[in-house]
Amino acid sequence: MVIDFSSFYDLPREIARIMDEAARPVLISQRRIAYPLVNLAEDQDNYYVDLDMPGVDTSKVELTLTERNLTVQGERPAQPGRFFRQERVAGSFQRIITLGAPVDKDKVAARYADGILRITLPKSDAVKPRKISISAQG
Amino acid sequence: MSNDITKREAQELPAFVPATDIVEQEDGFHIYMDMPGVPKENLSIDLKEGEVSIEGLSNYAAPAGAQAQHAEFGAGRYARTFALSDAVDKGRIKAVLKDGVLNLFLPKAEAVKPRKITIETT
Repeated sequence: MVIDFSSFYDLPREIARIMDEAARPVLISQRRIAYPLVNLAEDQDNYYVDLDMPGVDTSKVELTLTERNLTVQGERPAQPGRFFRQERVAGSFQRIITLGAPVDKDKVAARYADGILRITLPKSDAVKPRKISISAQG
Repeated sequence: MSNDITKREAQELPAFVPATDIVEQEDGFHIYMDMPGVPKENLSIDLKEGEVSIEGLSNYAAPAGAQAQHAEFGAGRYARTFALSDAVDKGRIKAVLKDGVLNLFLPKAEAVKPRKITIETT
């Protein structure tokens, strides 16, 4: 059907892969074993954790928050049938993300769209920078 | 004009070969393709001369105004082409994009489906 099994079939793909790797920005870390891929960003009020996990049933994804660690656990089921090619990650996964500061556990929000899960974790009030007003004495 | 700009931006995005599973099931072949961050309107599937080309544009954007601490993925352009054999019924190809995974269903042509042959007695 879809595939030509000759040994040189993958050559264009190999070249594309090498070019991909060369073109990848330096900022993006090279750890390819870890799954799912994680982007971590922060601003003054929140941490943002973006997880690249397409095709995952979110009802089976477990997010656990401890003091400073966010643990993501889930499973990507394999399809039944006869495989001609299998490149997608399948099976259960777990990843722990360490945050730099404590977060407000009750206000954590998560949204899944187009295969990307974005978790917004508000920093707890204790670590937010604040202005201190000076009261002058009469 | 603005169209030109979007085109140029799309060209500058890093190109990726999406991870793909090709599975044969009873009803036909399924091509599963991971395209995280690609909404339906950014996906194009072209069938030409027995080849199916899939192209998707991820519109992933880091949270606005936030400072990146660690990054492992980003926006990109996914593109991949497959040659189809005659065993595929090209008129009934179906595509579903859900949660960043494209499921391209290629039904087997009636001619190649297994069938029982009835024996006629004379």
